[in-house]
Amino acid sequence: MPDHSPGALADPITFAVVKNAMDAIVDEVAYTVIRTARSEIVKDVMDYSAAICDAHGEMVAQAKTIAQHLGAIPEAMQAVQARWGGKLSPGDAVVMNDPYLGGMHLPDIFMFLPVFRDGAILAWIVVICHHTDVGGRVPGSNAADSTEIYQEGLRIPPLKLFSDGGVNETLESIIALNVRVPDRVLGDLRAQYAACQVGAREIQRLADRYGTRQLRAYLAELLDYAERMTRAEIATWPKGTYTFTDHIDSDGLSDAPVPLTVAITVHEDSLSVDWSGSSPQVRAAINSTLSFTKSNSFLSVRCALRGEVPNNAGVFRCIHVTAPEGSVLNPRSPAPVAARALTGYRVMDAMFGALAQIVPDLIPAAGEGGNTVVCLGGRHPDNTPFIMVDMISGCWGGRPDQDGIEAITNPSQNLSNTPVEVLERQHPVRVEEYALVPDSGGPGRFRGGLGLARSYRLLAEEAILQLRADRLVFPPYGLAGGEPGGRSGNWLGEAAERRTLPGKVTMTMRRGELLTHHQAGGGGHGEPWQRAPEAVAADVWNGKVTAEAAQARYGVVVDAATGAVDRMATQALRSQGRGEGR
Amino acid sequence: MGTVDAMRAEAMTGGARIGVDVGGTFTDVVLALRGGQLHISKVSTTPADPSLGVTAGIAAVLAESGIAPAAVTEVVHGTTVASNTILQKAGARTGLLTTQGFRDVLEIGRIRTPGMFDMSWKKPEPLVPRRWRLEAVERIAADGSVVRPLDEASVRAAAAWFQAEGVQAVAVCFINSYANPAHEQRAVALLREAAPDLLATASCEVLPEIKEYERTSTAVVNAYILPNMRGYLSLLSERLAQLGIAAPIQVMASNGGMVGVATARERPVFVVGSGPAGGVAGAARIGPGIGSPDLIVFDMGGTTAKASIIEAGQPSLVTEYEFRDGISSPSRFTKGAGYMLKVPAVDIAEVGSGGGSIARIDAGGLLVVGPESAGGDPGPACYGRGNRRPTVTDANMVLGLLNPEALAGGSLPVNPELSRAAIEQEVARPLGLSVEAAAHGIRQVANVNMARAIRAVTVERGRDPRDLALMAFGGGGPLHAVEVARMLGIRRVLVAPISGVFSAAGMLSAEAAHDFVQPLLAPLDAVAEGDVAPVLAALRRQGEAALAGEGYDRAEVLLRFAADLRFQGQSSQLTVPLPEDGFEAAALRDGFRQAYQDTFGYRPEEPVELVNLRLTAVGVAAGRLDFTSLSLAPSALAATAGTRLVSFSRGAPAVPTPVLPRAALASGSVAGPAIIESYDTTVVLPPGSTATAADSGCIAIDVGVTDA
Repeated sequence: MPDHSPGALADPITFAVVKNAMDAIVDEVAYTVIRTARSEIVKDVMDYSAAICDAHGEMVAQAKTIAQHLGAIPEAMQAVQARWGGKLSPGDAVVMNDPYLGGMHLPDIFMFLPVFRDGAILAWIVVICHHTDVGGRVPGSNAADSTEIYQEGLRIPPLKLFSDGGVNETLESIIALNVRVPDRVLGDLRAQYAACQVGAREIQRLADRYGTRQLRAYLAELLDYAERMTRAEIATWPKGTYTFTDHIDSDGLSDAPVPLTVAITVHEDSLSVDWSGSSPQVRAAINSTLSFTKSNSFLSVRCALRGEVPNNAGVFRCIHVTAPEGSVLNPRSPAPVAARALTGYRVMDAMFGALAQIVPDLIPAAGEGGNTVVCLGGRHPDNTPFIMVDMISGCWGGRPDQDGIEAITNPSQNLSNTPVEVLERQHPVRVEEYALVPDSGGPGRFRGGLGLARSYRLLAEEAILQLRADRLVFPPYGLAGGEPGGRSGNWLGEAAERRTLPGKVTMTMRRGELLTHHQAGGGGHGEPWQRAPEAVAADVWNGKVTAEAAQARYGVVVDAATGAVDRMATQALRSQGRGEGR
Repeated sequence: MGTVDAMRAEAMTGGARIGVDVGGTFTDVVLALRGGQLHISKVSTTPADPSLGVTAGIAAVLAESGIAPAAVTEVVHGTTVASNTILQKAGARTGLLTTQGFRDVLEIGRIRTPGMFDMSWKKPEPLVPRRWRLEAVERIAADGSVVRPLDEASVRAAAAWFQAEGVQAVAVCFINSYANPAHEQRAVALLREAAPDLLATASCEVLPEIKEYERTSTAVVNAYILPNMRGYLSLLSERLAQLGIAAPIQVMASNGGMVGVATARERPVFVVGSGPAGGVAGAARIGPGIGSPDLIVFDMGGTTAKASIIEAGQPSLVTEYEFRDGISSPSRFTKGAGYMLKVPAVDIAEVGSGGGSIARIDAGGLLVVGPESAGGDPGPACYGRGNRRPTVTDANMVLGLLNPEALAGGSLPVNPELSRAAIEQEVARPLGLSVEAAAHGIRQVANVNMARAIRAVTVERGRDPRDLALMAFGGGGPLHAVEVARMLGIRRVLVAPISGVFSAAGMLSAEAAHDFVQPLLAPLDAVAEGDVAPVLAALRRQGEAALAGEGYDRAEVLLRFAADLRFQGQSSQLTVPLPEDGFEAAALRDGFRQAYQDTFGYRPEEPVELVNLRLTAVGVAAGRLDFTSLSLAPSALAATAGTRLVSFSRGAPAVPTPVLPRAALASGSVAGPAIIESYDTTVVLPPGSTATAADSGCIAIDVGVTDA
């Protein structure tokens, strides 16, 4: 049989059909979650994900949901199997959220439903939802300033929430009593179960059609196929060890920078990813448990693969991730973890920095480095409470062959934004600006995306502001001679007399006060002096780069009014060399 | 108005009506006489100036039918001018005027990406560059109150800048204008005064709904395509006049209805989805008459296959959609790839599986079909026009499902050996399969993809496809329909009459339909009939005025009111019908909860919020094509008869299969295996299926055994 046909057992046509069918089933599972969930965070923000695993728990298909969630499944699945291996029957579903057993942070509750065929498990349906609240010291269970996991909410080890199709009332009532919005949480858990059942039903149909033994073989082949493609690609990468360090400004409780250092070693056709040298675990809740560190490491590599590799665990098989115990990337319990998303973003930034040395033609310079989260909580005049949670996305860095993107989700997620008109309708705030920040894109042959500005004027008497931003100290890096992107910033007050706030803030805001945030801009790619003068001029014409910055940072003299390049002056300036031009 | 009236009256009583569907490859023209007799022509599309193809097709159908141009009383037109203007970035130099602080709302959009892990993705370029996005000093609060009055000097300064920059069209969208449009309206008036040549569109004049990005994007698209649409419609009128046709032109709208030229000239954003709407309108017309008011509409063309549903004789609509290049993924998780249009449109899922979709083996050894397409030119390998890569049509050719000598009623000669060679080279040999097995594989993968589009509009919307019939049309629909239906557990397939040009015919069955909306954000419990009545009255005035302008009497106007509702705190809403005779909160709440249950599978008892009131004003008229008494001109029936070897399933030998003309069904049912051929369509009846003639020119197929 020719080289690139699928494995010997598989019929190539059925293989193609099964692959497409699995992609369709997992999207249907995901869609069922939206159709049946109760909470906005699932229905509107779409902070959830769905996957199908084979009998061994290896993920064979994933829905187009949150990428960051799915690399954690292998660890969580191990915990489920360690506890429940051989003890499950049809109609059972196991839930868990413990970050120290493969979870991510407590609000993300995993559900695993085994699909049985002839008395044995054929597949697992997995649905992960970010729940509105799982108890703990603050609403939403997501505070960055907790100091141990016991403050963060209810910790659930792998337990059966459904047994033989019926709900486990003991567990359900414990959950109900420990969360602030039990209707939402129980409702979303039932949505997860409904979605799992849809997946199970469709897998059964597929098995009816193609036979159980055959379907097992095809699922195995799907993983082997992705593994083959991944190994074939890694085999073309230059051997060696590539290191990179990026930083989180601080954990918010101290000013100490938090370094994340990765060493990626390219072997024959596999990778080791070693996080030795990264910061020890920190006091505040930005620790990332190993499962989440792995998840972000995997998805970074997935972004560096060309073409059509399926999104399944076959890719993970080629990547071995380690992080020293007691580090911020593999903390010891009871270190707090609720705001670990920030660390996940920086894991990806560090991974990209190392991968850019391996596949320089695929990897962009650093993007904004993760959402800024703005929470405002207070009371309306009638004393009813309001909680505004707003996320400010960013941009992508310059790419090896094109500019970065402005106003875009971080690639590890796929979240949306809240329309200003909706925000103003629901909360006592007025947004006064939502705009691109000129000159914030890191100069480069290919410019980094511009950062976003968003400002909020408080219309209520007072409110507690919780603000989590980063990249005020360590801006997004450039690559291949490109310069860093603009730093992010927080300010309070009117433009003329505003005062600077730190990156992570908890404070009281008063009526009429104006909070302004600038998200960081993306790093540039390649020497700014190499950027085509026409491209610089187009940016000036379009108000994304000022004429001053064009001259100082790109060595291009542009007429601000017309966007025309002064070729003589530009040539003269650029011939002096970069250093003098600035 | 009198002449419009007179002309329309004549259309209904005596004259000929013409439907024109401009596709990527062919322009289809259907001429209908009052008795139901149809004449068809198919000519090449002329992309540089589509009106040339349209007039050529109309001239051909007039010549063939012997109808005098003066007897033509109405031309209904599905046009791709609006959509192509966007895809080709060929629109006006467009400006945008926003509230201070918000010039970038258009470019920021909703932040999501359509794919995962793809760092080379390109975000769609905004249709207005930042340079031409200006800010006016003004601010309206969420409750409609004025925070900061409009600074008229800032608008005049903007007008001067737009003029200096040679901007041709401008959209105006201010924050919270849905709650109070006064500043927006004033700004548009000032712009028109200061720069009379500027074509200005206010966002609240299109549809005044909450969410600033969606409203801005809609207004911008409208401004962007305005000059092209006006130019095209003027040119088309002129060319029709040269042919001797003075009849009014109607344009198919995205909502499955049609609008007059006046609307298409002012608010062309309503006709961006004009192309696929005709077939849906036709299916909606036929379904109830043949006992299938609930239908899946399945349209397979050269590049894509599209699915939508019809419930109780009405197309299922969405209130916003994203317009984009090429293929819309059926997955609902992939927003961010196109231009957001917040206007009602038929809910269509599209996959890249058409007759021209190319089959290949990817780097990992997987058989992939589409979305890359050979289109109509060079077309499938069997056309012999230089494409050597196999397509779905080539697979059908190799299996004997298609006529081995010529397609399109004999006008397009084909060579099956080229199909065979392409499949051998690109698929069979790499996979170690026979050519027949590979051809079955290509067909099967295409069928699975198409089934996915159908699942997207049924299962993902809480509808069970097994409860519905599948109506197939388009060049490839009837070739694949039975197998796709079997995959989904659908028992009944209907092949539309004149399937290959059904979209053009469907347009002749469409009603005039205009959409209007008024926001009314409030808890449903707090809304009294007295709050609603004036809003409904205002909507009614808008609807009646629009239809009066197209010559409809009061008696011919049908008003369909509806309300957008949601649970408090949610941001997505459902549209529920509202009786014309009055607003009753309790009934509305029940209707909403039921709709929610149908769509989302459960029924919360939380408080409900009213978001918008909507009106679809429909102009009904006798004489629209209802398909009940069709007769086709002889050319449309031309077909071959005989027997050929057809391979229906992999591994089984090809069997001698009767090839019958459509007329063969007149004398009774036909059991598969059989092929029914007509001018523009091939209907495949696999073993186990049975076809009978149905009313309205349809073929009804009982698919026999299903898989689900």
